[in-house]
Amino acid sequence: MTEARVTIESSTTSDLAEAMRLAMLRADPGLSRFDPLPRIISHDDFSRGHCGWSQLVGNYEDDLDTMLPGYAQHTSAMLSTLGHWDAGSHGGMDSSYALKVATRPFAGARNVAIKRHTFRRRGPIRFELYLTFKPEATELMLSETDVRSVGFLFDLQGGDRDGDHQRVMPHLRFLNALDGQHLQKWQFKTESTPFQAVGGSDRTLSHYHLAPTGWRDLADGGQRLCYNEIPTKVNWTYLRFDFDLETMRATGFRCNDRSFDMSGFDSIRIPAMKNLWCMLNFCVFAETDVDKRAFLYVDSVCISGDF
Amino acid sequence: MLPENITAIVARNERWSGHAASEPHEAGWAREAVIFVRALKEPEGDQPLARVEISPDGMRWLPEGSEAPMPSRKDSIAVLRVKHFGNWLRVAADFPAGAASTVLATIHLKA
Repeated sequence: MTEARVTIESSTTSDLAEAMRLAMLRADPGLSRFDPLPRIISHDDFSRGHCGWSQLVGNYEDDLDTMLPGYAQHTSAMLSTLGHWDAGSHGGMDSSYALKVATRPFAGARNVAIKRHTFRRRGPIRFELYLTFKPEATELMLSETDVRSVGFLFDLQGGDRDGDHQRVMPHLRFLNALDGQHLQKWQFKTESTPFQAVGGSDRTLSHYHLAPTGWRDLADGGQRLCYNEIPTKVNWTYLRFDFDLETMRATGFRCNDRSFDMSGFDSIRIPAMKNLWCMLNFCVFAETDVDKRAFLYVDSVCISGDF
Repeated sequence: MLPENITAIVARNERWSGHAASEPHEAGWAREAVIFVRALKEPEGDQPLARVEISPDGMRWLPEGSEAPMPSRKDSIAVLRVKHFGNWLRVAADFPAGAASTVLATIHLKA
């Protein structure tokens, strides 16, 4: 067989495999709404439980009092039917359940859910989810500026033999409102707080990467989302974030019908930690702008990679 | 598939005094709940009863009927068990003046 014919046959086999992969994805009601890369790392449909999304707990040593206050406020995510006092359960996209991350009821409160993995190869990964957000319906008001933000972040570190020893934390949030102003724009951040020892041994460190300072506007990042007309009507929104673990750079971001230029985006970059090699963590979070709980609901998440 | 079973931490290292309650937790999928309240520090003053509360909407709360004395010493634990609670759950206690307790409240849910 000539070299050219081997190449053509190999290409045909590859095309056929890709066509079959796409056909199977499109025919699967649970996955058809996603555009995953070739390997699905996890597909979380919250009708099957919490799927590994747990509470982000802060570091501590000897005494829980040593935990930074930003983390101390966190509580566990829950499975919700989006039950509303006036209309009953809203439900998810194709099941009754969604993951719910709820803040406490004071302005600036924040809560975070996390899923912790490690990676097998440094290459492209894709994070897709369907989400929505609302404030707690304590008032018969539109309340469209009560949720400060919802967002997500990754917490990443290369392998122990990789050489480029950095911990990299891309953050993106939809800043819905700040101090009552309806801003509706995407933001990222490149700064965390300085590391500080918690406890007395200097073996346990902590920093608060979700501190309210240091958020920067994404280029042309304004976007008006669907916020239905009373606090108890919700609509699901699609998000997709692409990141390359090889270069540790974002390669794409989409929200519904909009794709954003990520050339000006960067992540929080800090020296590698001595114990976090190949870390691949995903977080989702909510922040409230008023003394009222903010709720982030996630219908489903698909995390995929090319490896 | 095995039935869902989850441990939720609803209050961690919180100092409860006056009218205190854990954050609302949705658990309509669960058939049973066991709630533990552990005193992380030596409780201060006379300790009240802890009670389970349920709600139609996560905002308005009523006692479910289950009660247990709040832990009287550091590291002792109160337990409450409920089987019929609809969707919303929390644990609450009313502390008299001068009383307080720093608690870890956990809800253990099973489908």
